Amino acid sequence: MLELAGITKVYPGVTALDNVSLRVGFGEVLGLIGENGAGKSTLMKVLGGVVAPTAGTIRIGGQDHAMLSVTQSMRAGIAFVHQELALFENLDVASNVFMGREPRRFGLIRNKHMHDRVAPLLVRLGADFGPGAAVAGLSIAQRQLVEIAKALSIDARVIIMDEPTSSLTLRETARLMTTIGELRRDGVSTIYISHRLGEMKTCADRVVCLRDGRVVGELARDEIGHAAMIRLMIGRDLKALYIPPDAASATCGCELLGVTGTAFPGRQVTLTVRKGEILGLAGLVGAGRTSLARTIFGIDPVMGGEIRFAGQPLAIASPRDAIRHGIYLVPEDRKRSGLILEMPVVENITLANLAAFARIGLVSRDREASVSSTQRKRLSIRAQGNQTPVITLSGGNQQKIVLAKWLSMQPKMVIFDEPTRGVDVGAKNEIYKIMRELADRGVAILMISSDMEEVIGVSDRIAVMHEGTIGGVLDRSQFSESNVLRLAIGQELEAAEVH
Amino acid sequence: MLPKKELGLLLLLVVISAVTAVLNPLFLSGVNLLDMANLIGLFGIFSIGEGLTIITGGIDLSVGSVFSLLGVIFIDLVANRGIAWPFALMAVLAGGVVLGAIQGFLITRVRLQPFIVTLCGLLIYRGAARYYTDDSTMGFGYGNDADTLSWLAAGRSFGLPHSFIFLILVAAILGVVLHKSVFGRYLFAVGKNEEAARYAGIDTNLVIAGAYVLSGLLAGISTIFLVFYTNSVSPSTFGNFYELYAIAAAVLGGCSLRGGEGSILGIVLGTALLQVLQNLVNILGIPSSLNFAVMGTVILLGVFADQQLQKRREAAIAAAPERARPVAVAEPG
Amino acid sequence: MKRISAHALTGIFAASLLVTPAMAQGKKQLALVTNAAADFWTIAKRGVEKAQKEHPDYAMEVIVTGQATAAEQRRELDDLLARGLAGVSISAIDPKNSTAEFNKVAAKAALFTTDSDAPQSDRAVYIGTDNVAAGRQAGEEIKKALPKGGKVVMFVGTLDADNARERVQGIKDALAGTNIQIADIRTDGVDFAKAKSNVQDALAKGGVDCLVGLYSYNTPQIYSAVKEAGKAGVVKIVGFDEDPQTLRGIAEGTIESTIVQQPFEFGYQSMTDLIKYINGDKSFIPANKLIIIPTRVIAKANVAEFQTTMKQLLGK
Repeated sequence: MLELAGITKVYPGVTALDNVSLRVGFGEVLGLIGENGAGKSTLMKVLGGVVAPTAGTIRIGGQDHAMLSVTQSMRAGIAFVHQELALFENLDVASNVFMGREPRRFGLIRNKHMHDRVAPLLVRLGADFGPGAAVAGLSIAQRQLVEIAKALSIDARVIIMDEPTSSLTLRETARLMTTIGELRRDGVSTIYISHRLGEMKTCADRVVCLRDGRVVGELARDEIGHAAMIRLMIGRDLKALYIPPDAASATCGCELLGVTGTAFPGRQVTLTVRKGEILGLAGLVGAGRTSLARTIFGIDPVMGGEIRFAGQPLAIASPRDAIRHGIYLVPEDRKRSGLILEMPVVENITLANLAAFARIGLVSRDREASVSSTQRKRLSIRAQGNQTPVITLSGGNQQKIVLAKWLSMQPKMVIFDEPTRGVDVGAKNEIYKIMRELADRGVAILMISSDMEEVIGVSDRIAVMHEGTIGGVLDRSQFSESNVLRLAIGQELEAAEVH
Repeated sequence: MLPKKELGLLLLLVVISAVTAVLNPLFLSGVNLLDMANLIGLFGIFSIGEGLTIITGGIDLSVGSVFSLLGVIFIDLVANRGIAWPFALMAVLAGGVVLGAIQGFLITRVRLQPFIVTLCGLLIYRGAARYYTDDSTMGFGYGNDADTLSWLAAGRSFGLPHSFIFLILVAAILGVVLHKSVFGRYLFAVGKNEEAARYAGIDTNLVIAGAYVLSGLLAGISTIFLVFYTNSVSPSTFGNFYELYAIAAAVLGGCSLRGGEGSILGIVLGTALLQVLQNLVNILGIPSSLNFAVMGTVILLGVFADQQLQKRREAAIAAAPERARPVAVAEPG
Repeated sequence: MKRISAHALTGIFAASLLVTPAMAQGKKQLALVTNAAADFWTIAKRGVEKAQKEHPDYAMEVIVTGQATAAEQRRELDDLLARGLAGVSISAIDPKNSTAEFNKVAAKAALFTTDSDAPQSDRAVYIGTDNVAAGRQAGEEIKKALPKGGKVVMFVGTLDADNARERVQGIKDALAGTNIQIADIRTDGVDFAKAKSNVQDALAKGGVDCLVGLYSYNTPQIYSAVKEAGKAGVVKIVGFDEDPQTLRGIAEGTIESTIVQQPFEFGYQSMTDLIKYINGDKSFIPANKLIIIPTRVIAKANVAEFQTTMKQLLGK
């Protein structure tokens, strides 16, 4: 149905794709995995007609092409459901589905006709909204359905989904899996790209792994498993994530006593993050984990309760206050909140502590540079120099810059919000190591994560949030996916499972 | 060592000056150069303030009207009410600071857009100035004689006009503040990414409001210089469109209207270029009607050239991770 | 010519400066409608006040058009008509497009124009300045200042206003056939600072013997630029209108002379002639329906006396 043979793409100095051959069968779900920079995006750009391959052929429906144009790709029935959804929020569903291809009469858009054609597509996808719904009011999962409807409306035969579940809740993810199954039954093929290996297990008929621009392996349906996939991706077995602490910590660090934030008025959070421990904070998307972090860090006001550190109550009204008390946040969206992308490495690292580098208000560039160099070495940040703009660095290195900013100061508690999102496996381990080092220095670590593997693998204890409050706290002996999930959906732990 | 942007602008300035001087050597006469220096001083001082607000990602459209309002108040205090000039001067500077603080408050605390806040400032101050004077021109009238302040604002020392000397002073101080101080770094940070700046513990509201207060103060200082340049103030036209000269100078000088970019030297060079353009129209006998057209064309060319350079830089940046990739993969993490 | 500056910006201040004292019942109502707020009209108002004293059985008022827009004038005229106006003298802001409105007024009351005419309308008569003639007067002054000939540069706000064009025309007429050349006319868009830098640039460029300021603010800016350049007395100055700085320059000899209008007479004659007209006496109207109040030349000889009069009239 779609076949790539010997696709090679050479950029000056870099071979992004090296003799990649790939076949997608009729109604097949092909899982595509690989670390960041393995060549997945370039391959997809070739299919989308955005990038012309240096060598190789693309065979669609028995016809060979040396390259595709964007129109050819579209006409061949290749459609994309993007990682960052590209919808017009101010328009309704039908207008989005037909964007750029609006049915017209006398130059005017035939609205009714458009709605009539979109409605059956939405029914087929099991959508609970109609063609006239405003996109602004839809959840991310619903928006994804709009994108899929858009793909179906051009009679797509291959739908490429790039990290479609990164912002979905568990329930929404399950719903998407069902949709993919339905598409498969209708003979629509899917290329499914994801870092979430569990999803591969659920939905892929076959998994292909890319590394350094080459296909390094393929797993048939019954071979798909975590260990096998990770081995393919990094070319070696991943050693156990958990690094035990130097010493068990019991001294109380940060205490939250009935803290209420703006997101869940009336809900209270009571929790202790001990000095020297990594406390994992799990929960479904929207359970109030990020808003709790925002409240502790002073971005959102504390509506009730008290935050204490080492027994002393803290008054935190702004990030400035939190930072003064040694409480730091590594935010969820580092590009928006964690970094000033256009600024150089050194200025990002010193930004939160600039006064310490200044005398009579003037910044000493030498002292800045020396601290920046130290941090770069310590965290093995791959950047050309201190003056390199952060925007040019990879996701993992960007995240390390955020860490370097706080490590160059005196942390007492660090809140990590999804610390490894968009970070490749290698850098992930380095970040875990840094977290452990911090904890061993007596810093209290609160790690928010939606990645089950990470929560269970890295934490000393796990607190699970459910609808704005703490559903329960698990000790290492109680760690299991099912226990975390039970607490996350508001159920009690079964007595038998408490060891 | 000049950054590329400023170097390009300086080159443009030199080329245009050279061509003008060849066409009419009087362009380089001492009288003409000093006249220009005076005007560069007059327009440069408030352009720097404008540049600061632009660097925070905002804009100050009110400066022209501030001149009118503070100008008529100043003349009224000195000429009609017989207030001693030091007090009148203080009143004008305080007035500039207060107007800037009000705008800063509305922008940071009430969260109104800078364009709207300062556009309303432009309308309100102009209206207030016209109402205050009943729409009539204010001058030092039949009385008044040049006193100390007049000498300070319009006189010369070491052969240089005071406005120019003062501009050099302001540029030196604010150059250090913007490019070397903590506050300056914060201005850039806030202009590039206000949210990330707040997450780094910066009091972003204070920083942004600070830029508007500085702009107001520099507008107050400029008012004094401008009043003593024209000796009278017509409330409906005094300083009209001067905010646009300031914005043009800042943009020519490398300030991005998206915020987070710019330099004091660039703004000063931008002002100088604008004044040279106005001067060459007169010196070369180009009809006055073409004045704005000449200015617009050169600004467009300057910004276009800069944008082309920017594109090249971005292409270089975009190519960087492609090169870095194999290295990153090859090293075991 | 400050009125021109007010034209440049449309009003934004909502408050109307319309002055409407309660009109005495029974008295015939007369009004003078200005085209802007300016010292010029303050002087005209003194003329109206003089007429009022002489004719206490009429109610006279001056309506100041603060926003200087034709729309505001139209509203003022409508209000006056609604109150049963007997006669009005108006300085037309937009003569070409106000014909219908003016004719409506002329049908119900006596309508004069003053200062700025609307020749296409049914106005009974125009009382005001002949700007071409004023230009000719200035031309004669330039000739006096440059007996051996020379080069003249003129400065003005904008050249698209009729009065500016007419003044230039008059000067050209007067200088025709002499060895005095008009080298350039620079405009400044009514920006005082630009007006001054234009003068500075002209001085820097050199080769000029006489500078002429066509608008009221141009002459003071010429005066200060010439003084600062140390060219006082070397470069001659001829101006228009009666800005205090201009008069000071004449008194000290830096400025040769200035051509002034007589707004006092505009106000006074508007009122007295309206009364005559209402009472059926039309003999004062010449065939061309233009009553020209001559402009005066103020030079060193008469400037002291003129300054005193101005101070009295303006109450300063």
